[in-house]
Amino acid sequence: MNEVLFVILRRLRRPLIILIIAYAISVWGLVLIPGLDREGNVVHLGFFHALYIISYTATTIGFGEIPYEFTDAQRAWTIVCIYSCVVSWAYALGSIFHLSQDQTFRNVAARKRFAKRVAAMQEPFVLIVGYGQSGIMLARMLDRIGLRMVIVELRQERAAIIEIGEFEHTPLFLSADGRLPDVLVDAGVTHRKCVAMIALAGDDDTNQSVAIGGTVLNPSVRIIARVHTQIAQANLDSFKSISLINPFVAFANNIALDLGSPEKLRIIEWLSGLPGGIRPDSLNLPKGHWVICGTGDFAHYVSQALEKAGVTWSIVENYNGQINRGSLDMHQCNAIDDLLEAGIERAVGLIACTDSDSVNLATVTRARSVNASLYVVFRQANVANASLIDASMAPLRFLKSEVVSHRIRQLLTSPLLIRFLRHVDEDAEDLAQRTGKLLEAQVGEKVPFMWVFDCYTAYAGLREALAADVDPPLSIGDLLINPENPPERLNAVPLLLLRKMKETPLPAQSTQLLPGDQILFAGQLEAEELQKRFFLEPSPLEYIRTGIEPPRSWLFRNLFKKSLNSKDTTI
Amino acid sequence: MNLEKVIFGFFVILACTLNFGFFLGEIDNHVLHHPGHLFAAVVINLVALVMKFGDRTHIGATHLATSLVAMLQLLAASFAWMWQVNINQAVMNAETMATIVSLSGGALIANLISVILLVSETLRQTR
Repeated sequence: MNEVLFVILRRLRRPLIILIIAYAISVWGLVLIPGLDREGNVVHLGFFHALYIISYTATTIGFGEIPYEFTDAQRAWTIVCIYSCVVSWAYALGSIFHLSQDQTFRNVAARKRFAKRVAAMQEPFVLIVGYGQSGIMLARMLDRIGLRMVIVELRQERAAIIEIGEFEHTPLFLSADGRLPDVLVDAGVTHRKCVAMIALAGDDDTNQSVAIGGTVLNPSVRIIARVHTQIAQANLDSFKSISLINPFVAFANNIALDLGSPEKLRIIEWLSGLPGGIRPDSLNLPKGHWVICGTGDFAHYVSQALEKAGVTWSIVENYNGQINRGSLDMHQCNAIDDLLEAGIERAVGLIACTDSDSVNLATVTRARSVNASLYVVFRQANVANASLIDASMAPLRFLKSEVVSHRIRQLLTSPLLIRFLRHVDEDAEDLAQRTGKLLEAQVGEKVPFMWVFDCYTAYAGLREALAADVDPPLSIGDLLINPENPPERLNAVPLLLLRKMKETPLPAQSTQLLPGDQILFAGQLEAEELQKRFFLEPSPLEYIRTGIEPPRSWLFRNLFKKSLNSKDTTI
Repeated sequence: MNLEKVIFGFFVILACTLNFGFFLGEIDNHVLHHPGHLFAAVVINLVALVMKFGDRTHIGATHLATSLVAMLQLLAASFAWMWQVNINQAVMNAETMATIVSLSGGALIANLISVILLVSETLRQTR
């Protein structure tokens, strides 16, 4: 039975019993006490009349004395009835109102309502656990691309922000602990429309339990978890459906790439920007000595990246008690002497990465007073401090929530792009250079739009073209012909061909297509629109391949076939 | 001794005995079936029903179901009585009385099941 109903029933047991007993005694009394009719005969009230009288008396409506005027004995009893029944009613109503104000009851009711609304979701949705800075940024971004969301957040006041947030579709939210499996179930992790679950809680422990809980409850759902530490990463790596995002590692990787092979980073940044935007410039980080001010995982990952890129670096810690470890050249305090000792005068760059924006600002100012030409990398801890950080004129800024939300958007909207970017990162530099040339030729300075062309035979337009005996076989190059004007080409680059788990970056235009292939294209928005026509009906594809507009209706198709046959016979 | 169990058992058994008292007697003889008995049976059954609210065990759910059945039958019997006497403005006849008493007989069976559940629950108690 319904939980809310249970709580109500249990709480209202006593007031209801009191009400029943008060009514019963009152009715009984009225039936027993003799009354007089107009002629002065003794008559007794029936149960029906007695119940009627008590019903309107107890609710203070008061229709008067029926069927005859009461005797004084009846009136005396009615006084007793009035007081006992009205007080019982007041008690019962008071209990109901008290119950509706009760926190436990409200939580149960809110939870029930939430679960019901999630269960009724008809559109695909994303479940977000944790509504901190990254969560807010991600929610806004996903809302803009039209994805529905369900948000679970432990802190009540955080969850309340969602209600007043500006959303196209207000997400469903619940303030509860996402580590509890029943909360995840209520939030729809097992719902068939749940596209993905994203764990963005504050600490790695929580994210770990949320992600593992989600994958155990629903092994087929996609899970994205944010982690900071290597131990959490190692724990979650063994689960297939969990994708991990370590914003620190992602940023450190970018630094290493920029110092090592800037062309790769240029392509990655170019493809991962917001489509339609301006192509981002390369960072052009200077090579030389770097000073890192800060501690913790971020400093650790950045120093590793610098080490990998082969530049020298030293760390300035801003608290006491750190021991020198190997090549780590550590200092104890953030004063100017320590900066000097870390080599700030000969340094080319400074990475300010403590957990506090004000300490970072102070460090940057102090370091610049010694060496004004420093390249500053700033770790912004709080989104709200953006104007403060702007004042520091740092050319490169790390904002965790930004890195996380961009990456999640990519994972959700274009998983093939992530695969391609991995190829760019890991393969030889040659791939990045070729991609760069193709993109420059086709899309120019803008960030291209990305889309995936699925070779499903279920599409009406592709059924015949993908059949085994078609000559010439359909190739990727055919998809780049403008269906409106065949001599023209579409401005798009095939970035990746995915065929039965095998990835081919930058497939050649002559590559033949098989049913089930997926091709990631990057190009202009119009190109995507034009290319979509190939799905809908066979004629554009037929037309560009053969130059003949095929007849569409049954009658003309048959006539066309006949005319072909007659041609054959005449030849 | 648990006072809650005493009160619960009291109302469940009283509901059954009162109902039995009303049911007893020739089925179509209205002299043998007093309306006060029916009223008492309805009230005590109502109290027993409310006392069974909110118990989430299986046996609690069955208890609640028996009470709901008894309540339904007794209210139907009361309604039949009211219809004949107050709405038709007629005297009680044998047919209506038979209907009322057989309805209360059905409620009596539901009450008996309730008592059986109560007794069996008590016997299961090994503590």
